[in-house]
Amino acid sequence: MPRLPVITGLGFITSIGNDRASVVRSLRELQHGFEPYVFWDNPDLAVKVAGTVKGFAFPTPSWRDWRWPDQFAVDRELVRGLAPHGVYAICAVQQALAEAGLNPADLAGGDTGLFCASAGSPFLLGHFLDQMRATRGERGNPMGIVSSIAGTLNFNLAAHYKISGAVCGFVSACASSSHALGYAMDEIRLGRQQRMLVVGAEDMTTESILPFATLRALSNNPDPAIASRPFDRLRDGFVGTGGAVALIVEDAALARSRGARIQAELVGWGQAGDGHSVAASHPEGAGLREAMRRTLADARVAPSAIHYVNAHATSTPAGDRSEALALQALFTSNGAKPRISSTKALTGHGLSLAGAMEAAFCTLAIDEKFIPGAAHLGEADEVCAGLDLPRTSLDEAPSLVLNNSSGFGGSNVCHVLGRPRNSIYPI
Amino acid sequence: MQSAPTSSAKTNVPDSKAAAIRHLPADVQTAFHQFEADGNVAALDRVILAILKDYIPRPSEKPLDALPGETRLMDDLGFDSLAITEVVFFTEDLLGISIANEEIIQVRSLDDLRGFVRRKVAARKAG
Repeated sequence: MPRLPVITGLGFITSIGNDRASVVRSLRELQHGFEPYVFWDNPDLAVKVAGTVKGFAFPTPSWRDWRWPDQFAVDRELVRGLAPHGVYAICAVQQALAEAGLNPADLAGGDTGLFCASAGSPFLLGHFLDQMRATRGERGNPMGIVSSIAGTLNFNLAAHYKISGAVCGFVSACASSSHALGYAMDEIRLGRQQRMLVVGAEDMTTESILPFATLRALSNNPDPAIASRPFDRLRDGFVGTGGAVALIVEDAALARSRGARIQAELVGWGQAGDGHSVAASHPEGAGLREAMRRTLADARVAPSAIHYVNAHATSTPAGDRSEALALQALFTSNGAKPRISSTKALTGHGLSLAGAMEAAFCTLAIDEKFIPGAAHLGEADEVCAGLDLPRTSLDEAPSLVLNNSSGFGGSNVCHVLGRPRNSIYPI
Repeated sequence: MQSAPTSSAKTNVPDSKAAAIRHLPADVQTAFHQFEADGNVAALDRVILAILKDYIPRPSEKPLDALPGETRLMDDLGFDSLAITEVVFFTEDLLGISIANEEIIQVRSLDDLRGFVRRKVAARKAG
């Protein structure tokens, strides 16, 4: 009997909520997490909205000035090596462990691995290098490197939770945490690990978000209610966000043996490159189409079996178009018509966080029996003709869900998640 | 809220150093100003213990000034090499002294640290 990876715990620090109940409510009621945001104290900038993370504050690079909600415990010993997104991650992991019925000590011992994804902390790295430059190399924060470079998440979480299984970070931009989850599935399926902690996170700072304005990738719409509108004819770019999402992935046999509640099965995953551009997606979504095809093949399900697609669509003109064409090619051309929405309309684009966050949303859709609607969608782009983009969330219980992610350089990664009942599809 | 020391005590302290210790308790800031004004080593000791407390990885059960002088930084207080490096850099900048790696590894206890910083500061003043 092949090993089956399943999800038994989720933790959320997101623009639409810092706990499961708030996130479910936001997804069901299509409440967005955006606020007006002045980047670098410059009101003249065209970018005016962000997916803020409420209850946290990182006003300076010094951890002494940082604040987080009282219900989360972040020790002094730990926080000195963390980036802002590391603080989010600790708070998300605490939730995921509690939901899975695990203690932090259960992560030690070698049976549990840790796969993470973040872009590091441009905020802290910039400050660290400024400090070294100002002293001509004679001074620097000893924690400067481990708190700021890509990998800071896995350095800190692995040490803090004493994880002696597989530990790795993934860097494929906006597909990063989808890679982390996909390879975590493989660790379980290959029998290398019994349990995987998967964490995606990003800082919610000017330094992490505003550089995308140089690519003209950010929305210039000042209205938080419509700035992020994936697949809409008038979409003009994405709205940035940060946060952290943690998933506890376990071998189904282990989960059952310890009486854990299985929220969703991880049925298959796949990936494909565009082989096209360093920054832009393939104009016809060729890589994403192939990634979806491979994922369905891995899951051994037909396009018609997919009930809901959580699209990558970030609200950029080119990217959403590519994905719409890929979805047409894989589903519409095969007579399939799944419900489709991009929850980035509510959260904003979480970059390295996005894939894990949206896999967790897919888990919620399966476990809580609903389909998130396509928020903020006025008039759909004509390229979406034939795609089923429900304007409101639906009380439908999806059995099989597809999660899409795409990153710079044309990395496309998808997962199929399923309702925990083996009989609904062949394994 | 911590209140800032009186302006008369600030005479010998540049703004950059006042800013560097603004997160420390008001009585420690006052002690630092006193040390800078008259070289009072008891005041210096209070500043050193406050810096240690600021960087200690795990809070100490007893106040540091209530612990015996032979209390070891690593074995008893839980300091690791990174936290000690943080203390060293902060202390170097605040007191205008230079501490070599070979020197700091000789400092094992609270008394070692107090004595070491006193000697360094005295050498600074002599120089």
